[in-house]
Amino acid sequence: MNSVNKIVFIILLTAKVILPQGQLGDQFNKAKELYSKGEYFNTITELKRLIFFDRDKRYAYISNELIGECYKMGAKFTDALNYFTRAEMSATSSEDIYKCRINIIKINILRRTTGRAISLLDILEKDSRFNGKREEIDYWRGWAYIFADDWDKAAIQFSKISPDHELKKMCDSIDNERYSVTKAKLLSYFIPGAGQVYTGHYLSGLLSLGWNILWGYTTVTAFQAGRIFDGVVVGELLWFRFYNGNNQNAEKFTIERNREISNGALSYLQNGYRGEKP
Amino acid sequence: MIKLFVLICLGMQVLFAQTDWEKWGKADIPYTINSGTVSRNYSIGSDNPGQIILKSLVIGYWVIISDVDGDNCPFSPTCSSFFLQSVKETNIVQGTLMFADRFTRDMNTFGRLSHYPISRNRHLYDPPTLYTLDKDKIKYIPAGVIVNE
Amino acid sequence: MYSTESRRLFADYLYCQKDYLRAIDEYQEIAGTAGSDTINFKIGLAYLKIGKYEPAGLSFIKIKENSYYYSNARLEFFKTQFLLSNYDTLERNGDNLLPVKQLNVFSYLLDYKTLPVKNKLLSIFEGEDRRAVSDFYERKLNPPYKSELTAIILSTLIPGAGKIYTEEYSDGIIAFIVTGIMGYISYTDFKADHKLRGWVFAGLSTFFYAGNIYGSAASAQIFNAKVNFKLSTDMKLFIENKDYFIPDYEFCK
Repeated sequence: MNSVNKIVFIILLTAKVILPQGQLGDQFNKAKELYSKGEYFNTITELKRLIFFDRDKRYAYISNELIGECYKMGAKFTDALNYFTRAEMSATSSEDIYKCRINIIKINILRRTTGRAISLLDILEKDSRFNGKREEIDYWRGWAYIFADDWDKAAIQFSKISPDHELKKMCDSIDNERYSVTKAKLLSYFIPGAGQVYTGHYLSGLLSLGWNILWGYTTVTAFQAGRIFDGVVVGELLWFRFYNGNNQNAEKFTIERNREISNGALSYLQNGYRGEKP
Repeated sequence: MIKLFVLICLGMQVLFAQTDWEKWGKADIPYTINSGTVSRNYSIGSDNPGQIILKSLVIGYWVIISDVDGDNCPFSPTCSSFFLQSVKETNIVQGTLMFADRFTRDMNTFGRLSHYPISRNRHLYDPPTLYTLDKDKIKYIPAGVIVNE
Repeated sequence: MYSTESRRLFADYLYCQKDYLRAIDEYQEIAGTAGSDTINFKIGLAYLKIGKYEPAGLSFIKIKENSYYYSNARLEFFKTQFLLSNYDTLERNGDNLLPVKQLNVFSYLLDYKTLPVKNKLLSIFEGEDRRAVSDFYERKLNPPYKSELTAIILSTLIPGAGKIYTEEYSDGIIAFIVTGIMGYISYTDFKADHKLRGWVFAGLSTFFYAGNIYGSAASAQIFNAKVNFKLSTDMKLFIENKDYFIPDYEFCK
């Protein structure tokens, strides 16, 4: 190779190294633009292209993170977790690692894999690098319990941040508003229909009471008159059936009512609440 | 040598479809909890006098009896819904016969699980379309398979 | 990054990552350039992998006769047609390819076309396969169906007997017991001169009796649907197990 060729070769080589950097930056901006337009599928394509040509992995962290965000927007949680994990592996600062972990935790909160979210938060808390993040960790723990429909535990977490925390007050009030399944079942156990009335289902409660009185009375009078067969048949097939139905309804209605209460709060959190959300 | 790919594999059929094999866009992620239960349709929803009478009777049965005597029906649709759907699918006479047959099968508690597919709400899936005597409507689903109905 | 070569490299990468839809998009950007037969072949395969048989078929027929991939593309094309249940295309197969002919045999067995003579169908199979296909042929020709009429007659004579005939044993026994008990109660009521109760139970007995006759016919139909289902599932399983004949194209070594 003569010297001229050598120089040309070196120029070409440097060009090859230098040129792509500008191109890669442009490519990332292009992807971000698609992302801001809400074209998440195409954003991922362009980011994958960037990752493919980015030999030095300079864009690995931000690209993988943005791919994770895209999948999250499309509610593709498993894929989102996959890419947030990849981002974490290419993260260089502890701040970036923390960001990725929180993203992973938020996904676990959203898909209600609460156990996983809590254990990841525990790991974060024990990590000395993140000592200054205690409040944030408690905050997300609170959200994890909200999504697990455990408003009492959620309130405790928020109260660690501040006894007057907005979400602490809200969780407390939701917890108070909820009906007790045990109470409803006990009520109906002793007075058929009472549990249903407790949850506001008056007609159903009265019907249950009526049927139980009717078949209970028929059964008892049959036994008193010595018509054992009739007594057994009515007691077994009718009274028992309606008594059982009464207990089932007490439980069912309580669960339904509680779901309504939780959903009211959850939709406020999604649409009305201004603070940070998963 | 000879290309021996004699028969074509149906294994090519998509077994593990991946997320990006279809284009997708932004999706809502509702915070609210889905009940997952199938709710009954209490509206009459018909102009036919026969259907109105029948549906009223069934609604009466639902409110006064079925809703307060517990979850006793192992099937999906339930016997009363099966009756309604049968009459809608065929006519009152054939619908009644279909209902009588279903009633008999309801009394049979032996080997049900090895007989019927399973519906989404964990009941035995037994739609009226199997029993209209129209062969083209029969979609055979093996027992135990979970159906999204 | 957007040169033809770069796009091809990126598309190959996506293809091997099983990100087929994105790979197809990339390949299509450069499909008009040199080496387009390879690209069309890969587009076809990618479509096949994601279960879009129609565009897969369209990609395979684009491949020219002088191409290295031509013969494979023909086979892949007929595969898509089989998967799309376009059995007529297989029938009109001008290429005279053995695998396609064999597939066509299965199209006869899976479809409701009239079956040709057995030996003619079997002549293109050998050994184990021949035995299996012969077995399928027999099952297709003489399916072990239950007759609806027989079921109806049996249930008319003895309540529940039609269901036992269609192998719904417990349903049959229950139908017999229920109809019997209702009938017996009605009989004793009439005997004791309880007219109203007698009529009520006579009505119930008739209700279950008629329902059972109807249900026996329906049960025979369901039984037959099950026979058809089993045969086609067994055949599909058989075809699927022939997987080992297919060479890997080794695009992703």
